[in-house]
Amino acid sequence: MAAVLYLAAGVGALLGLALPARRVQMGARWGLALGAFVQGVAFATLHRLDPAPSLTDLAQAVAVMAWVSVVFLLYLMTRFRLPGFVPPTAFVAFVATFSAALARSGQPGAPEASGSIPHAHILLASSGLAALGIAGLAGFFFLLEHKRLKGRRSPVRRIPLPSLEALDRVNRVALALGFSLLSLGVVTGALWLDARGGSFFSGSLHETWTLIAWLIYFGLFMLRIVGRQGARQAAASALAGFAFLVFAVLGSGLAA
Amino acid sequence: MRVLLYGMNHRTAPIEIRERFAVDQTGPLLRKLIDRPEIEEAVLISTCNRVEIVVTTDNPDAAQHVLADFFVRDLAVHSSTSREDDRPLTAELSDTTYLHHGRAAVEHVFRVASAVDSMVVGEPQILGQVKDAYREASDAGTCGAILSRLFQRAFATAKRVKNETGIAQRPVSVARVAVDLAKQIFEDLDQKTALLLGAGEMVEAALVALDDHGLGDRRVANRTAAHAETLARRFRGSAHGLDEIDTLLVDSDVVLTCVGGDTPLLTRERVEACLSARHDKPLFLIDIGVPRNVDPLVHELDSAYLYDLDDLQEVAAANTEERQRESERAARIIYEEREHFDGWLVALQAVPTIRDLKRRAEEIRQTELERFGGRLRLDPGQEDAVAQLTRSIVNKLMHAPISRLRDETDREAGLVRLEEARTLFALDDDASGAESEEDPREIVDALVRSPRSEEDSGNES
Repeated sequence: MAAVLYLAAGVGALLGLALPARRVQMGARWGLALGAFVQGVAFATLHRLDPAPSLTDLAQAVAVMAWVSVVFLLYLMTRFRLPGFVPPTAFVAFVATFSAALARSGQPGAPEASGSIPHAHILLASSGLAALGIAGLAGFFFLLEHKRLKGRRSPVRRIPLPSLEALDRVNRVALALGFSLLSLGVVTGALWLDARGGSFFSGSLHETWTLIAWLIYFGLFMLRIVGRQGARQAAASALAGFAFLVFAVLGSGLAA
Repeated sequence: MRVLLYGMNHRTAPIEIRERFAVDQTGPLLRKLIDRPEIEEAVLISTCNRVEIVVTTDNPDAAQHVLADFFVRDLAVHSSTSREDDRPLTAELSDTTYLHHGRAAVEHVFRVASAVDSMVVGEPQILGQVKDAYREASDAGTCGAILSRLFQRAFATAKRVKNETGIAQRPVSVARVAVDLAKQIFEDLDQKTALLLGAGEMVEAALVALDDHGLGDRRVANRTAAHAETLARRFRGSAHGLDEIDTLLVDSDVVLTCVGGDTPLLTRERVEACLSARHDKPLFLIDIGVPRNVDPLVHELDSAYLYDLDDLQEVAAANTEERQRESERAARIIYEEREHFDGWLVALQAVPTIRDLKRRAEEIRQTELERFGGRLRLDPGQEDAVAQLTRSIVNKLMHAPISRLRDETDREAGLVRLEEARTLFALDDDASGAESEEDPREIVDALVRSPRSEEDSGNES
């Protein structure tokens, strides 16, 4: 049901932007909020079952990430005019939720995947990925707007977006939050590994690429903090960083 | 009843002529106009770009002469800019005015209210001006059921055009384009600082436009300190010399330049140094100087957005073209609305037939009651009961044809049905019959308030 609501929100948001019709856009926003509510209730219900489905399953982890990105976007939309963000977020949430629903086998997770540390790791890392995804999206729209303004074309946008300054602020806030959560996700991941095998780092493909991605984000975060990066470079880095992170975390997870 | 529109606008008459007919207070003139037997209702729209009078009349041929006469004798005399000269007004009017009848007049009113007929297509002021004109006519008592309905539909049409097309979205003045661009770079203009280099008329005009949209802080830098101080005082800003530019640039967000000089005042190196000092926060530069005051290479810097006068004019021209394209979509909406109004107006033609039909039925009832009253020898109570019975029969018999006539006259076939009704009930046989006791205006008002009409006007609120 959440997947259907996300799909409807995505289609509604696209229609709202194309017509353009503010009421349709508002309806899409409510659809997104309702989808997040239903998905939240579904998570809570599923995890009261005995045995509960494992969050460490990749599809479930991606569904958590999608849910956090929707909730984070809804929060940002209370402060900024971001209807342009709704279609991509809603479609990603639809795919993630639908995949998780299809992949759910009803089998309990492995014994080593139960407990609070693995769950904390998945929740923190997924939330970090979600926030960094929003940062990447803000970066993408910043670059689009920057190009249009540099091209000295008509000031009327095809997609209603906030100012460049606001997009840069969304990027900065999402990067700070995402990097912090990702860092906590990496720490809890190391603790989980230690609990399983007595070592903080086993050298697997997933751990190696995730560590590289974290180091890259650490660099970007520091550049942002010391103010050595202009808004355009920050936008481009956020977009490239997220693409790399998806490759590193999800790609290596799938390969494993 | 026919709608007639007579007037002139920016396309048909130059300002020298238009200003001679422009008036501020339309009420007294309108009252004088509807004193003429040819005119039923009237509304006068007088703006800097048009002087138009909309009337309803039963005699269009006579009314058009009355309107031309009204322009010459009343408007020209009352105009605040009227003056004695030898130019023959009547001859001027024949070349500069237009007259629209019926559907064309209705469509013209809709086009005017929707700003499709404006000099700057999509400009927002005209709707307010048309509303003012309508209000003045209503206050003067010269706006009846038909023109009220016409103007209400015109306002609803304008709302639809604004909401369903992009006619009013794109800014078309250079100043508005600059403000819109600034809003796309910065989130809150009222938190931003503007630096104005120069203190001439162009800078002042730009400052007025920027000031309307709120700017937190304003600084004026000029070679002549006295000019900078005058402008700064007027716009509650601070005055500076051109030698302070480098310091001022660092914490300014919007820079507007229009100073004399052959070489650019703001070079790429100068702006680059400033951007570095402000940690690459965006800087919006508007260069309206000729020759240009800002090196065009500045635009290559990531955080600098430079627009010169040509760029702004190009955007404004592109937006004007886009508005023209959107006006074609607006034309479809106007056509739909005109058809609705036309249907309603045709429905009004049923009024005399309905009135005659009612009168005819009542006459028959009365005649028959009188004829049989003597023979039946009824007491007063029985007479009342019979009167009530016959009235009820007549009303029930008449209900269906009257409803059908009212409902179907807004279609073309309805006019044929009206003719048929007049023939079937022999309504024209005593066309010179007694005047109805019922006021035709009340019937018109009843039609205006009919459920169908209310439904139509529901989206006006």
